[in-house]
Amino acid sequence: MKKMLTLALALVMALTLAACGGGQSGGDVDYVKEKGTLIVGMTDFAPMDYRDESGEWIGFDADMAKAFAKSLGVEVQFVEINWDNKAMELETKAIDAVWNGMTLTDDVKALMGTSEPYCMNAQVVVLSAALADQYRSAGSLGGLSFAVENGSAGMEALDGLGLPYTAVDTQAKALMEVASGSSDACVIDLLMAGAMIGEGTSYPDLATAVELESEQYGVGFRKDSDLIKAFNDFWGSACGDGTVMAAAETYGIAQNIIEK
Amino acid sequence: MASFWTVTLALAEGLGATAKLFVLTLVFALPLGLVICFGSTSAFAPLRWLVKTVVWIIRGSPLMLQILIVYYGPGLLLGLPLLPRFTAALATFVINYACYFSEIYRGGIQSIPRGQYEAGQVLGMTRSQIFFRVTLLQLIKRIVPPMGNEFITLVKDTALVRVISVYEIIWMGESFIKKGMMWPLFYTAVFYLAVNGLLTLLLGWFERKLSYFK
Amino acid sequence: MAFLQVSHIEKRFGRVEVLRDISFTLDQGQSLAVIGSSGSGKTTLLRCLNFLERPDGGRITVRDELLFDAADPAVQSEGQIRRKRLHFGLVFQSFHLFPQYTALENVMLAGSLLARERPDYKANKQAILARIREEAVGLLTQVGLQNRLDSYPHQLSGGQQQRVAIARALALEPDVLCFDEPTSALDPELTGEVLKVIRSLAERDTTMIIVTHEMDFARDVADQILFMDEGVIVEQGPPSQVIEHPREERTRRFLAHFSNK
Repeated sequence: MKKMLTLALALVMALTLAACGGGQSGGDVDYVKEKGTLIVGMTDFAPMDYRDESGEWIGFDADMAKAFAKSLGVEVQFVEINWDNKAMELETKAIDAVWNGMTLTDDVKALMGTSEPYCMNAQVVVLSAALADQYRSAGSLGGLSFAVENGSAGMEALDGLGLPYTAVDTQAKALMEVASGSSDACVIDLLMAGAMIGEGTSYPDLATAVELESEQYGVGFRKDSDLIKAFNDFWGSACGDGTVMAAAETYGIAQNIIEK
Repeated sequence: MASFWTVTLALAEGLGATAKLFVLTLVFALPLGLVICFGSTSAFAPLRWLVKTVVWIIRGSPLMLQILIVYYGPGLLLGLPLLPRFTAALATFVINYACYFSEIYRGGIQSIPRGQYEAGQVLGMTRSQIFFRVTLLQLIKRIVPPMGNEFITLVKDTALVRVISVYEIIWMGESFIKKGMMWPLFYTAVFYLAVNGLLTLLLGWFERKLSYFK
Repeated sequence: MAFLQVSHIEKRFGRVEVLRDISFTLDQGQSLAVIGSSGSGKTTLLRCLNFLERPDGGRITVRDELLFDAADPAVQSEGQIRRKRLHFGLVFQSFHLFPQYTALENVMLAGSLLARERPDYKANKQAILARIREEAVGLLTQVGLQNRLDSYPHQLSGGQQQRVAIARALALEPDVLCFDEPTSALDPELTGEVLKVIRSLAERDTTMIIVTHEMDFARDVADQILFMDEGVIVEQGPPSQVIEHPREERTRRFLAHFSNK
């Protein structure tokens, strides 16, 4: 049902995009500067975006978004969005960027304009720690039932392998499916798995098994927006002056960063 | 214990949005429903059919889809600036619930015996006197039970607005899943049960207030 | 001209002719009983007099004032009808009291709403309402309900409810008070109290039209009897003629049902 809905909306959107021809999205940098805010759509997704004790948004992506907004001379405003609707949020100007550890899948690239990749990630199978050793290759996964975030890179990987799955609306819910026993395994981001499972977390009995696909994170903007170039330029200079690596060290993802 | 209070406070914040949506929906949808009811029972056939078609569309399609259309539709189809998220959610709820209310009003009005109108007419009352002095209170008495059902459904339907990122109770509860806490989502049920319990008591009290006549 | 003059009233529902060429007169202080089998058009006639149905033809005149003329649309506007129907009062078969008001409030309601249209209402509001209340208490006393002023309709028996309905109709002092089978919805043991009230009204020379199946009552109380069948007046005259010595075969056949009982 939900998938149908998403498809229907995507269709409406595709038609609209075709009708508009993306003609009016040229001056996004001016548009953002004029209103004085860069609205960043994200979700609560440690270590990229999450709240500190005082409720302030922090994380690698959040810190970089703040720095990018500063380079444009505007305020950053974070809006928690429903991830299913990210493309519509962008297109309707409810937000100006999707910046939340977003995997650059073919679907994402079709729906929005994307930056150059800035971070490496992998999709990893997570299941009960007792069973993890039995599933060290993609070929061994037959017979398992999976939960996976709808529209995610993990879902594409499972589609590629022809494995059955239940699509849920967040990666966290996919983990919950496994923890509650309604699915045998789930496929989530390696970055997220690192932060959320194993000893000392809420899911001590889960462990990672085989990595299915390596992937890249990028920032989403409106199609043909000049914010894409602005971001790529910003990324180049932020790598040059060490800002990027300093933040990456803080959040423990230095080995994943793609420097420019 | 600390996390219990953190969660409770966060959910209470979500309850604020839920309660605001609930109350404002009633404030606007109850009178609008009456207007729609008059439209759908109008003697002027084109108006009657127009209103009935609108009611059919609104009642016949998922509320969740309507929320998405009202919020994203103007931007996607016409390139217009969006309504604020809460406003879009409220507008959708008001229209949706007004249509349901209009049918309840219609059923209530039609269930009042013709003799009540005729007795008023024979006594020289105007149409509005008959409505306000004679039939309105009988109408209210008849529609309290079905309206009560709608109110309770409305409390729960507010959960749908999270599709356009209005941060109501369920959204707040779900946000803890990402921190590895599952129980806050289920804990939200306590809030819904408390609100609906209060509502049930209020409706019962109101029904008793109106029980002095039959 | 007679106090009430009904001339050539016609009424159709679709193709069915419910009333055909109904004409009669009634003098002030007289009472008229309308008898006839179900479906003969008696109730429709009363509804036409009270403007609950709009006749397709004919004229109605009270006290030389033309209340209705099918040929003249100018006298048929909603606002005009509202004032004109006050010449008539109507007591329904099934009472139709307002359930959310007490007996006293039922009797006072229409009068207190009409009083607002008086130019001196604002200045004398207290006095006017006090007077309406006093009159209403008087009327309820007249129908024997002085002890039930604050009862709600559902707390009253059918006979008591119908007596409240009579008081409610009397409160507006109509020229002609109409009764539509006032005892038909009542249990037999309750008809007596209602008939007694109507009888007392007749003794006070209230101008009345009573549609009824109570033949004995009609004969005792009415000054005139009007027998209807299939939408026409078959026979009319004093009870001594129509009930005791009917001239028409149809009247005789109808009355035979009652004497057989």
